[in-house]
Amino acid sequence: MRSIKAIFIKQAKDMIKNPSVLVMFIVFPAVALIMTELIAKSNQDIPNNMFVTMMAAIFAGMGLVTSSCAVIAEDIERKSLRFLIIAGVKPHQYLIGTGGFFLIAGSITSVVFALIGDFTITETIKFLSVMIAGSATSIVLGALIGMLSKNQQAATALSMPIAVIIGFTPMVASFSEPVEKYASILYTQQINVIVSDFSANFAQSLMVIGINIVVLLMLFIITYRKKGLKG
Amino acid sequence: MIQMNNIIKQFGNQTVLSDVTFEVKDKEIFGLLGPSGAGKTTIINILTNQLDADGGNYNTGCNMFETGLMLDTDGLYERLNCLENLNIFADIYGIPCKKSLEALKNVGLEDAAKKTVNLLSKGMRQRLALARAILHEPKVLFLDEPTSGLDPTTARGIHKLIQKLCDNGSTVFLTTHNMEEAIKLCNHVALLHVGKIVEQGMPTEICERHNAIKTVPDLEAVFIKLTGVELG
Repeated sequence: MRSIKAIFIKQAKDMIKNPSVLVMFIVFPAVALIMTELIAKSNQDIPNNMFVTMMAAIFAGMGLVTSSCAVIAEDIERKSLRFLIIAGVKPHQYLIGTGGFFLIAGSITSVVFALIGDFTITETIKFLSVMIAGSATSIVLGALIGMLSKNQQAATALSMPIAVIIGFTPMVASFSEPVEKYASILYTQQINVIVSDFSANFAQSLMVIGINIVVLLMLFIITYRKKGLKG
Repeated sequence: MIQMNNIIKQFGNQTVLSDVTFEVKDKEIFGLLGPSGAGKTTIINILTNQLDADGGNYNTGCNMFETGLMLDTDGLYERLNCLENLNIFADIYGIPCKKSLEALKNVGLEDAAKKTVNLLSKGMRQRLALARAILHEPKVLFLDEPTSGLDPTTARGIHKLIQKLCDNGSTVFLTTHNMEEAIKLCNHVALLHVGKIVEQGMPTEICERHNAIKTVPDLEAVFIKLTGVELG
């Protein structure tokens, strides 16, 4: 527990001083706020929450994948992780500390999205639940990519296209039925479905997100056993 | 007591350590000497459980929590300041954060406590890495080329600190390719060449054995005589 707490505090202090990661948690809600105030509220044809839900889904899919991946890849490349492990930190403690921090940071950003949006209490609860589940999935995916990467450059090269596909597929799916059909297996599409229409089948969407988490966790465990966290 | 018996290590088909055997007594400074690529870092990596040996056995006489480590790469958190870097490890070891300030004071970095790591000079980074290694007052300290690339004044400061740590009861295991450093600091040394120990003992004894004392003991002359290789 002591090690997890130490890693968690380290991530918090480090993120404040790391603009490339910090920006991910600010830019998406900021864009949602600006577009909602400037476009959605002054245009009757556009739903009030359209930009909030769109940016929230992109944040959950893209922002968290790239940021968690970048941090893990940096710790591996700079050998900081090696010193933590020599000091007695178990790899799973490192991952829980890092992942836990990103989950809380992602949850705070989700609350900001919920405050920008015009949701009822029930809708807010559904919105936050699906966002937190989606954030957890993205963090596992980010950690998996970070672990597979030799350095930060490789991590960015690998995470960016994956994050763009994961993050933007729901938006593309809203314009194309065939894409929508295939995208329904993606957790980001399910986030988009719920946050865009709160009357949609909530349980089914959560189940798809759950399957995504299980599949990614299995991939993560297999990769971890094969490769480990080579700090 | 640190012991290594008949250690063998291979990377693919290449044997990087063959039949390495030595012993380090408690509370002494032991130097492992050799040029780059001799296998010094591999030995430290094996002793600190970062690498598995392919043969032989070893014992450091203590657990991982009782060892301190300073490697060729410092692994410091660039965006955090010196104190924050040490406080992470103080939290992990479960020791009070005031120990971080003490460790900084010991390496002469107390005035740079709030300075961000990416603004530190190489010498200051080395000292901070050493502060992290000694933070929890380890029984055994592994130092991989602790003064490599440092100016003579900073190197002398680190030598004094290593001596002080030994006087306070720590066992110090260091690697270097600087023979003067080894003669000045180490109680015992082992000369490593292409993964083999070619000589070991007290520096002056080794020099005497190989008639390498002119005005001062000359370990470099011994190394060249034994291996035909000059230290880079």
